[in-house]
Amino acid sequence: MRITIDDISIECEEGELLIDVMLNNNINIPHFCYHQDLGADGNCRMCMVEIKGAKRPQIACDTFVKENLEVITKSENINEVKRSILELELLNHPVDCPICDQAGECKLQDYYMDYGLYESHLTTPKTKKGKAIELGSNVMLDQERCVLCTRCTRFTSEITKTGELGIIGRGDSARVGVAPGHELNNPYAMNVVELCPVGALTSKDFRFKQRVWFLDTSKSICHGCSRGCNISIDYNETKYTREKIHRFRARRNARINQSFLCDYGRLSYKELNNSFKGTSSSIEDLKELLKEDKKLALASPSLSLEQLQAIQTLCQTHNIKLFCLAYYDESFGDGWLKTNDKSANLASVKKLGICTCQEEFDAALQEAELILNFDHTLLKHQEFGNKKSVQFTSTHLPPACGYCFGFANFAHDTGTLINCEGITQKFYATRFRDKNPSLSELLEQLR
Amino acid sequence: MITKIVSKNFEILNSHTMAVALENGRYASLENLFLQKPREIIDTISQSGLRGKGGGGAHAGSKWQLAADTQGTKYLVVNADESEPGTFKDRQILSKDPHLLIEGIICTCYAIGSHISYIYVRGEYEEFSDILQSAIDEAYEKNIIGSGAQYPLDITVHRGGGAYICGEKSALLESLEGNRGHPRLKPHTPQAESYFGEPALVNNVETIASVPFIVENGAEAYRAYGTEKSPGTLLFALSGHVEKPGVYEAEFGLGMWEYIHTLGGGVKNGKMLKAVIPGGASTPILPAHLVQEAKLDYESLKSLGTELGTGGMILLDEDASMVKALKNLLRFYHHESCGQCTPCREGTSWVDKTLDKFIAKTATTEDLKILKSVSKSMNGKTICVFAPAASGVINGFLKHFENEFLECIQ
Ligand SMILES: Cc1cc2nc3c(=O)[nH]c(=O)nc-3n(C[C@H](O)[C@H](O)[C@H](O)COP(=O)(O)O)c2cc1C
Ligand code: SF4
Ligand code: SF4
Ligand code: SF4
Ligand code: FES
Repeated sequence: MRITIDDISIECEEGELLIDVMLNNNINIPHFCYHQDLGADGNCRMCMVEIKGAKRPQIACDTFVKENLEVITKSENINEVKRSILELELLNHPVDCPICDQAGECKLQDYYMDYGLYESHLTTPKTKKGKAIELGSNVMLDQERCVLCTRCTRFTSEITKTGELGIIGRGDSARVGVAPGHELNNPYAMNVVELCPVGALTSKDFRFKQRVWFLDTSKSICHGCSRGCNISIDYNETKYTREKIHRFRARRNARINQSFLCDYGRLSYKELNNSFKGTSSSIEDLKELLKEDKKLALASPSLSLEQLQAIQTLCQTHNIKLFCLAYYDESFGDGWLKTNDKSANLASVKKLGICTCQEEFDAALQEAELILNFDHTLLKHQEFGNKKSVQFTSTHLPPACGYCFGFANFAHDTGTLINCEGITQKFYATRFRDKNPSLSELLEQLR
Repeated sequence: MITKIVSKNFEILNSHTMAVALENGRYASLENLFLQKPREIIDTISQSGLRGKGGGGAHAGSKWQLAADTQGTKYLVVNADESEPGTFKDRQILSKDPHLLIEGIICTCYAIGSHISYIYVRGEYEEFSDILQSAIDEAYEKNIIGSGAQYPLDITVHRGGGAYICGEKSALLESLEGNRGHPRLKPHTPQAESYFGEPALVNNVETIASVPFIVENGAEAYRAYGTEKSPGTLLFALSGHVEKPGVYEAEFGLGMWEYIHTLGGGVKNGKMLKAVIPGGASTPILPAHLVQEAKLDYESLKSLGTELGTGGMILLDEDASMVKALKNLLRFYHHESCGQCTPCREGTSWVDKTLDKFIAKTATTEDLKILKSVSKSMNGKTICVFAPAASGVINGFLKHFENEFLECIQ
C-alpha cells in the first residue's frame, strides 16, 4: 500500500501509525509525547499534519494510514499551527539553556529553530515550579523545563510497572513528581532521563560534566549480561585526561532492548575508563614461558568472538588447555532485559566448542605449571604460589609478581557477540586508539 | 409553561423516601419494563428521540444499542459530576427524587444487559450523595435492587474528588478506575466506552431519570412534547441577574425570552438584559437581541452560533461588566484544565492572566491579539472538548462585546 507525504510516495502497511511511517522513513515530524516504545498519548499536539480531505490538522501519532492518504507536513498553515503550539510549550519555560545539560540534544531547541523563531509575546508573569529536585536513582528533575509529555510517568507505570512517577496538580500547575516520602527506585530508573525529550530529567551521573556537542559516538553493545542491549558510547578526548567514555545511551533495537537499558548496564561504562595503565611485560619472555610443559588458559566469556578465536588458535598451536567459565549470578536476572548469565558472549564460547566444565577446569588448575588468564575475573587477583602466571587484562591491575599484558577494552575494539537469544551483533571501536594494543594484535606477535 | 416529567415529585414533602416515592408512582414503570424484551426497550428509547442531557445531546438510543451489542460484562455509569457554573439540575433529582434515578437505572441496565451500575457524584455534593445512598439502601431492603430483585442489579455510589474534568465521560471512567481524571484519546470508530476494558454506557443523571416515563407511557407520549429533533423536556435552569433563579422543567422549543420572563420573572430589579450564557458556562454568550430570537432547542441555538448545552441559563444585566464576566469564566477554566494538552494547559492559564490586565485597565493592543491567537490555538487541537469550549466562550465575548475590552486598553 502507498501513501504520499509531501508529494513523496511511500510504501507502508495498512493500519500503521502515520508517525511510525514518518519516523521509519526519516521524515521530519516534531513530537514530544509519542515514543515508539511507549506508544501514543496525544497530549503534546506537536505532531500536527494536514491530511487531504480532513477539515482540521490532525495529530500524526493518532492517525492510521489508509490507501492513498495524502499528507502535508510543510505548509504555511501547518507551520503556523506548530509555531503556536511551540510557543505555548515554551511559554513558562525558564529558558535556562546555557546552564541546562540537555542543551544540544533538546527537542524544544530543535523545534524552536525549525518552527519557532519568534519573539516572546508573554506580557504576564511566568508560572514558577520546582527546580533541582532529586528523584532518586541518579535522576534530577527540573519542573519548569518539563513539557508534561508523560513519557517518564508512562515508563514507570506501563513498562517497569513500579509507578513511582506521577503527575501532580491540574492545568498549568501540573507537574511531575513522586509521592511524598517515596523515591524513584527501580533497576531501570535512569531510562527516564533518556526518554525525556527536554532538560527536565537529567542524570546526576552525567550532568555538568560535558557539553553534548563535544561528544563523539560509537555503536556498541553492552557487555553487562547476555542480553546484548544495543548502546551508543558517548566519548571524547579532553586535554588533561586521555580519551574518556562519558556515558552509555540506549540504541533502539526493537528485537532486543527497544529503547531501554538497565541502570547496571548503563553505569558499567565507568569500567571502560579503568584501562590498564602499567607497562606490559616483554613478548620475548612470554615466548619463552610458552615452552613450559603443563599449560592452562582461562578466557572471559565476555570476550568477542574474534578474540576467543585468536585465543583458541594460540592454545591449539602451543598445546594449552583452554577453558571458559560463565559469569553466572542467580540474583541478577529479572525476566525482562537482565539475564542471570552475566557473560556477554557465552553463545560464542559454546559455538567454538571451548570447554566450560568447572570440574575439568579445577582438575587442570591443580596440575598446571603455567596459567594464562584472559581477563577472567576469577583469576585476575589470584596468587598462584609457585606456579607461573600471565595476566592478559583490559582493566588496570596493580603491579604483581607475574607477567602482565594490557589490551584494549571493548570500547576501543571492534568485534562480534552472540546474545542469549542467538542474535549475532557487531560492536565498533571509538575513533581513538587505546594505549594498549587490541588482544588480537597482541596474540599476533606470538605467531 | 412548566411541563413536569422528571420534576413531577420535586415539590412533594419527603419525596426522597421510599414510602412517599411509592405512593407517588415511583417504580411503576417496572411492570411494563419486564413485560418487554430488552431489545424492545432500546427500540422504544430510540423512537422517543431521547437525547443526552449532560450537554452533548447525543441520541441515547444509539449509545444504548452500541453498549448492548458489545461483548463483555456491561456497566452503566451515571454521570452525576455536575460541576459546571450555571448547571445545577442533576442535584435536584439526586436530592428530591433519587428513586426516579434508581428506577431509570433499573430500566437502562435491563435494556443493555448490565447488572452493575455506578453513580459518579460530584465531590462537593456530599449532602445529595447521602440522600441518594439512603434511597439506594431502601431499594436494597425492598429487594427492588440487589441479588434478590426481579432483575439482579447492584448500584454503587462513587464520590469524585472535586474536579470538573471528571464529568467528561472518559476522564470519569479513568477516575472510576482509580487513575487520574485525564480524558482519553477518542476512538476512530463509534464504540462503547470502556471500564477496565469492558463495555460501559455513560449517561447523565437527567437522561436516565427521563427513561421511566418513556418506558411507562411509550415513545409517542414523550414525543408529544418538544420539537421534532429535540423531543421531550429538559430541566432548564436560571441563574445570574434574574428575579426568580431556579430549575423549571419545560418542553424543548419554547422561546428563550418567554421562558425567562414567565418562569424567571424577568431580569432582576427590572433592569435591561445585556446577554445570556445559554447552556452552562461552556456555551458561547448570546447578546440580548439574539435572546429574543432564540428558541430553547439544540437546532435553534446552534444556528445562532451557540449551544443548548445543559440548558442552564446565566443572565447578565445591562450593568454587568463583560470583562469581569469573562475573567470569572476564564479563572474557572484555568483552575479546571486537566493539564494534559499543551494548548489547554498553557492556553487557559495565559488567557486568564492576560485578562487580569484588562481588569486593571493596563492591557495593550498586543494583549487583545494574544487573547485572540491563544483562543485560536485552543480550538480543535486537544484530547477533549474542554479547550475548544473555552475558546468558544472567549470568541463569543469578543465577537459581541469587543468594545468593552477595547475600553480597558491603555
Ligand atoms: C469538560 C466536560 C465536562 C463535562 N461534565 C459533565 C457533567 O458534569 N455531567 C454530565 O452529565 N456530562 C458532562 N459532560 C458530558 C459527558 O462527557 C458525556 O457526554 C455525558 O455524560 C453523556 O451523557 P448523556 O449522553 O446522557 O448526556 C462533560 C463533558 C466535558 C467535555
Ligand atoms: S519530565 Fe520529561 S519525560 Fe517527564 S513529562 Fe516532563 S518532559 Fe516529559
Ligand atoms: S540488561 Fe544486560 S545487556 Fe542490557 S543494559 Fe543491562 S546489563 Fe547491559
Ligand atoms: S483539552 Fe484540556 S481538559 Fe481536555 S484533555 Fe486536554 S488538557 Fe485536559
Ligand atoms: S506526538 Fe502526537 S500529540 Fe504528542
